[in-house]
Amino acid sequence: MCLAKNNKQFPGLIYLFSQTATGQNTERASIFFSRSCLLLFQPVLGTGHKYYLQFTTEDYKTRENVGTCLAIVFYLKRKPTPTVNIKCTYTKDQKEVQEDDHRFYQKIRQHTKPIIGSYIPDSYGNIEPAFESAWALAVVGSSYIMWEKSTENLGYFMAQVKHVKQWISKDDSIDFDYAVLLHEIPTQEMILCHMRVIWIPNHPLKVKYFCSSENQSAESEDVSGMESGSADGILNERAANF
Amino acid sequence: MVQLKCLEPLSLICAGGCLDFWVSPLHPERPVDVRVPFTSLQAVKVFLEQNNIPYFILIKDLQRLVDDEKAQMVHQRSRALSVETFNYATYHTLNEIYDFMDLLVAERPNLVSKIEIGYSTEGLPLNVLKFSTGGPNRPAIWIDTGIHSREWVTQATGVWFAKKIISDYGKDESLTAILDKMDIFLEIITNPDGFVFTHTKNRMWRKTRSINAGSSCRGVDPNRNWDAGFGGAGSSKNPCSETYHGPHANSEPEVKAIVDFVKQHGNIKAFISIHSYSQLLLYPYGYTKTPVPDQKELDSIAKAAVTALSSLYGTSYRYGSIITTIYQASGGTIDWTYNQGIKYSFTFELRDTGRYGFMLPANQIIPTAQETWKALMVIMEHARDHPY
Repeated sequence: MCLAKNNKQFPGLIYLFSQTATGQNTERASIFFSRSCLLLFQPVLGTGHKYYLQFTTEDYKTRENVGTCLAIVFYLKRKPTPTVNIKCTYTKDQKEVQEDDHRFYQKIRQHTKPIIGSYIPDSYGNIEPAFESAWALAVVGSSYIMWEKSTENLGYFMAQVKHVKQWISKDDSIDFDYAVLLHEIPTQEMILCHMRVIWIPNHPLKVKYFCSSENQSAESEDVSGMESGSADGILNERAANF
Repeated sequence: MVQLKCLEPLSLICAGGCLDFWVSPLHPERPVDVRVPFTSLQAVKVFLEQNNIPYFILIKDLQRLVDDEKAQMVHQRSRALSVETFNYATYHTLNEIYDFMDLLVAERPNLVSKIEIGYSTEGLPLNVLKFSTGGPNRPAIWIDTGIHSREWVTQATGVWFAKKIISDYGKDESLTAILDKMDIFLEIITNPDGFVFTHTKNRMWRKTRSINAGSSCRGVDPNRNWDAGFGGAGSSKNPCSETYHGPHANSEPEVKAIVDFVKQHGNIKAFISIHSYSQLLLYPYGYTKTPVPDQKELDSIAKAAVTALSSLYGTSYRYGSIITTIYQASGGTIDWTYNQGIKYSFTFELRDTGRYGFMLPANQIIPTAQETWKALMVIMEHARDHPY
């Protein structure tokens, strides 16, 4: 039975969960975080808060259920990143997962010209078929940023891909430069993050990013064009290893 | 004839008579109008100047004029001529929605009227539709959409609600019974300045567009500007923040207009303010953990409303008080309306739960409106059947 007080957002956890579930340091590019349910909230005296969560995951494209997870998320006082204990059961086995990922990879690779676009989805919620995969990859990359930025009381959703530019890499990896807008709850701010995502199936996702608050710029005008290559300034670079 | 003859070389400038004479050379005293293709422009100018023929340009860029006119015609054609032909499955501009309101009133003057309750910071009228079958000051239901401008599915559902009300009156027993006892007020574009800004400059704009003294940042969060726990935790004192509460309560004309209207009317029994996204049905309070005295009743109404909503497409909503369900927020609309004595005060957060967020695809407008209407009916029926 879900508790009434169950609307906490844990968008960042999709990244971690996919990794732990496959148990193999691989990234699932094709799943989405779905319905969540808080089973229990347990304040641990003097130490922090424990959340017992149940949630399902769904395929980003077909929306079909691909798995259920049970997790214990423990936020320690004074430490923004929680410890997580999680067990998932997936409807698909390892082989099917790899095939899914490979299909996703191929879909991007088959583009003859580098994928370059803006405002995905557009103001009306449309995502051009040609940009679907790039958008999905942005969601996964963004979830990594969200995982690092979120706290017990601060959560995120990816609101829009402001700009995407694909780099043609010399090796087999797919390589994208993104400017994404993250919707921050409960502040309601739109956080602009520049993100570089590099991926080959069966390898960890590489995400470098730099975020700033859109509001701090003089007026929230459109940012036309995009800086090329890796963002200037300080980047957070990490391979996905927990 | 000599003078006319001297123009002959003009036609040789481009082969095959590409110079298009709109007013042909007929008489030496009369001007000649000619359309010149871009590629011949230089040559024609040189010819005229060398021969001392005075000229001036009537139309600089004809193609642009043609394109503009074409666009105008297309727009004209797609502008709905009736409430029936209006496209409810797409997002509209402010002008389109304001035109729709006038269409509605023109078609059903005995049921719908338009009231201007004030003006926005930038001078746009704040329009409210009144659905009434009579009576001097009947108990009323208030619904507003679009108070946060980027929440586009809300204004779109507001438009759909307006159509739904006039369609169902006289046909749906329950809605007819509601309108025979009560009035419905519907403000579709509660934040018009913000709405225009989302169309023209920044799709993600949330607040009003008021100028903040001493800051380059504009706008106040209209859902933090009400006089209920104003300025408390869950709102910001930074003008650049999305939850900036403003210099004082009711500083925003968009908010003040509703406050004045509600106070002056004095007989509003249900107040529903519609937002997106998250799929929630909320009741007061947001500014304090203290439960409202009518907590039990509001909770059971919310439960019934959410059940009705999900019966259509299986869309699941959570419900509860603002502070226990999402987060603390002070200076919020329904906290104020509840404290004014409007017991049935609710806030909706419509679809979705974050996949598209504010950029909800247009093909979800009607399903969202349909299911939300079911929940609204539960609330309105309850207000009708439980007068206070």
